[in-house]
Amino acid sequence: MNSNRSSYGSYQQQRYGGSTSPTMKNPSAHFEKGTEFNDRDRLNDMLATEKWLTDGFNVFVRETSHQELYNDVLHVLTETHHACRDVFNLMFEKGWYSLHPEQPSHIADHYQKFSGYESQFPSHGTGSYQYLSGVGQHPRDY
Amino acid sequence: MYQNQYSQQQRMSQPPAVLSTKDNAYLTDALSWELLAVKKAHSFASQCSDQQVKHQLEQLCQLHQQHYHTLLNHLSNNQQDYENQTYPHFHN
Repeated sequence: MNSNRSSYGSYQQQRYGGSTSPTMKNPSAHFEKGTEFNDRDRLNDMLATEKWLTDGFNVFVRETSHQELYNDVLHVLTETHHACRDVFNLMFEKGWYSLHPEQPSHIADHYQKFSGYESQFPSHGTGSYQYLSGVGQHPRDY
Repeated sequence: MYQNQYSQQQRMSQPPAVLSTKDNAYLTDALSWELLAVKKAHSFASQCSDQQVKHQLEQLCQLHQQHYHTLLNHLSNNQQDYENQTYPHFHN
């Protein structure tokens, strides 16, 4: 997990709240911790705004009439998603966002379970389902 | 109504480049969302002490201004078409 990106700091084997789950988190950058609205609050508020905008534009793009409007609104939606991602990444870089890796055994269990469910595909065994394993081979990849 | 005016013409495979009432309502909503985002990002950027956060917020301010213009363009194009009575041409 990002082991080649040492600049992204500590993959700390911390314990938190009595759990044995480690955290993926950078050391927290400085911010004012008083009652005032601080830099972290500002970035968090802007992230909430971007998230809210993607919800709005998602509904908008679905309701557009003609193609040119659809194209432009979809483009605005995509760029707003990217903006969300940029803010999220900056918050992570600043150490204001932590993630907890799932235990590999839990992932392996689910992989096994849902691999088994592939037998339920109508096309199972016919070899006609060409999009299963291909990466980036979606039928309409805009 | 448009329907009467164009019902005798060729069958359309897609909606013509005309704003619907719903398009207009969504566009005006979205413009006000973007304007608010521009103002918020600008205001927050001016209050920031962390230069990286400030820079990110300034970029967001620019992005939402671009989006504002993209959306506003759809209102101005439609206005022109309407005044010139040139729409809609319903062939492919």
